[in-house]
Amino acid sequence: MAQEKQRIIAIGREFGSGGHLVAEELSKRLELPMYDKNILEHIAELKNVDVKNWEKYDEHPKFSPIFRNVQGYSNSPGEVIAQMQFEYLRRRAEKGESFVVLGRCGETVLKDYDGLVSIFLLADEDSKIKRIAERENLSMEAARARMKSANLKRKVYHNNHSDMKWGDSRNYDLCINSSRLGIDGTVDLIMEYLDKLWNTEA
Amino acid sequence: MAQIVAVGIFVLMFVLIIMDRIPKHIITLCCAGATILVVFGLLMRSPEAIWETLNLRSIGTVQFWYEAGEAAESTSGINWATIFFIFGMMVMVEGMAKAGFFRWLCMTIAKAVHYRVTAIFITFMLMSSILAMFIDSITVILFLAAVTMELAHLLKFNPVPMIIAEIFCANLGGSATMCGDPPNIIVGTALGYSFMDFVTNTGVIAGISLIAVLIYFYCCFHKEYRKADESRAADVVYPDPKDAITDRREFAVSSVIFGIAVVLLVTHANTGLTVAFIGIFIAVLTLVTSGKEALDLLKKVDYKTLIFFVGLFVVVGGLEQTGVLVLVADFIGKISGGNIYLMVLIILWVSAICSAVVDNIPFAATMIPIIKTLASVTGADLSTLAWTLSLATDIGGSATPIGASANVVGTSVAAKEGYPIGWGEYCKTALPATILVLLVCMVSIFVRYC
Repeated sequence: MAQEKQRIIAIGREFGSGGHLVAEELSKRLELPMYDKNILEHIAELKNVDVKNWEKYDEHPKFSPIFRNVQGYSNSPGEVIAQMQFEYLRRRAEKGESFVVLGRCGETVLKDYDGLVSIFLLADEDSKIKRIAERENLSMEAARARMKSANLKRKVYHNNHSDMKWGDSRNYDLCINSSRLGIDGTVDLIMEYLDKLWNTEA
Repeated sequence: MAQIVAVGIFVLMFVLIIMDRIPKHIITLCCAGATILVVFGLLMRSPEAIWETLNLRSIGTVQFWYEAGEAAESTSGINWATIFFIFGMMVMVEGMAKAGFFRWLCMTIAKAVHYRVTAIFITFMLMSSILAMFIDSITVILFLAAVTMELAHLLKFNPVPMIIAEIFCANLGGSATMCGDPPNIIVGTALGYSFMDFVTNTGVIAGISLIAVLIYFYCCFHKEYRKADESRAADVVYPDPKDAITDRREFAVSSVIFGIAVVLLVTHANTGLTVAFIGIFIAVLTLVTSGKEALDLLKKVDYKTLIFFVGLFVVVGGLEQTGVLVLVADFIGKISGGNIYLMVLIILWVSAICSAVVDNIPFAATMIPIIKTLASVTGADLSTLAWTLSLATDIGGSATPIGASANVVGTSVAAKEGYPIGWGEYCKTALPATILVLLVCMVSIFVRYC
């Protein structure tokens, strides 16, 4: 597969849809670095601070009435951390780097880059609950509650930073239900899509 | 009908500001447009109300530039004196920041106290208060918080209490003078008070409060900072304050201009020069001395804030012209029964609580016509109400992370450098301090003026 041109794969995902597994596998197959929560680790290393202080605000939604913006400064830690992550991604993209980014409004933040391919992963409710329950060792009821709360947070977080609605198919190049093909099948499908797309471009 | 629409526009403006989805200056400008078109134009059919609210003729008068007392005649509509003054200060501060003045000052003080954390804690609180008396608190906190973070990394201490204390002291210092905080500039220019009027009234009370606040913060955090001092590594390489100066000539010039601004402000009641004149004079002086950099400085001015002020004054002008604010003043007069103690209590605590959760600038702008009417209706001393309003709005803003601009900037800088400050952590420290200072203010006002 030709890799001269910049390739950025931005993956949005529902909680429990296996987005992380898909992104990881894509990153392996394409031999590209993957950015997710490790962005914060990289920034913390650069600034010589403890990443633990930031972790709970990663992809954290902002509820407007209790936060204010003044001349580009916000008192919302989630907003500050999100902006640092967006800046990090923009800098990587500006340098011409190719990578896979999971979440962090990648499809919005990097929309100006020609090499961007945006994907949204969804899944059937039962399969999401099953995956969450197995992964986090929860009862089905607890997994359902966890899924609902996490997806609400992701939706608010995304919509805070984007004019486009989270999960709206019009905003992505591909929307895939990972329950239909499973993780490997979904990755195969994406690879096939990328192959065709990049060959067409070439 | 005009009253209902004016109130509707005002409430809508506040709700939109709180929701924070649209830039503030766009909100106030659109609401100002609606006030002019719908309230003054369609409902009142009063070109005179539009003309009075735009208040452009005041700029052409001699009193606008000279003799502060008479310039205060027009309190209705756009307060151009406030806008001109803030513009001038913005230009001056940009020049000072560019030359490295603030970083140099912070580092010099840290060096003078031998980089002892407890001493830095106390001196930075004092410096924050003093600087905020003359410079907008956003700039003060922006530089102070950045240096605090740098020193925290170097000296291995927790910067969060220090940043919260600096924010608190910046807001408190701002309450001491006419130019320290936007509500004071609006109160001073609208009601005709001078810089020294503020210093001898709100300044004295702010000074007493500062002593109480220093004791409060010292008691809360001195153990933590003493530990940091005791456990400091021996091989720390301390920064040289001189390295902060980016250009020696610019540094010297900006320091002199700052000195001139302070002298002009302190003496403006004697010289007769208004704050509008001082603002424009300082801006011109900064631009002329900065040569080729002048255009850059002008570009960096925060015009959005100036537009925000223009829009805000028009919306409040709508409430004033339709008589809504007279109704509110009558209501406060009735509740208090003309009792000055009750009036001070209501203005102090209601203003402080409101300023803790909403922007204190629109709140103060709205309250000025109210206290003016209240004073004329009940015979209460206007200056007592004015000092109460200034102190309450400035200090109330310290209680929460969104109460004042300095709080937002300070917490934002801390989060960026690895120390996010949530509502809980901020309020745990700042709320008791706010209540303490408000109590000090209440007692001081009762003893001195009632």
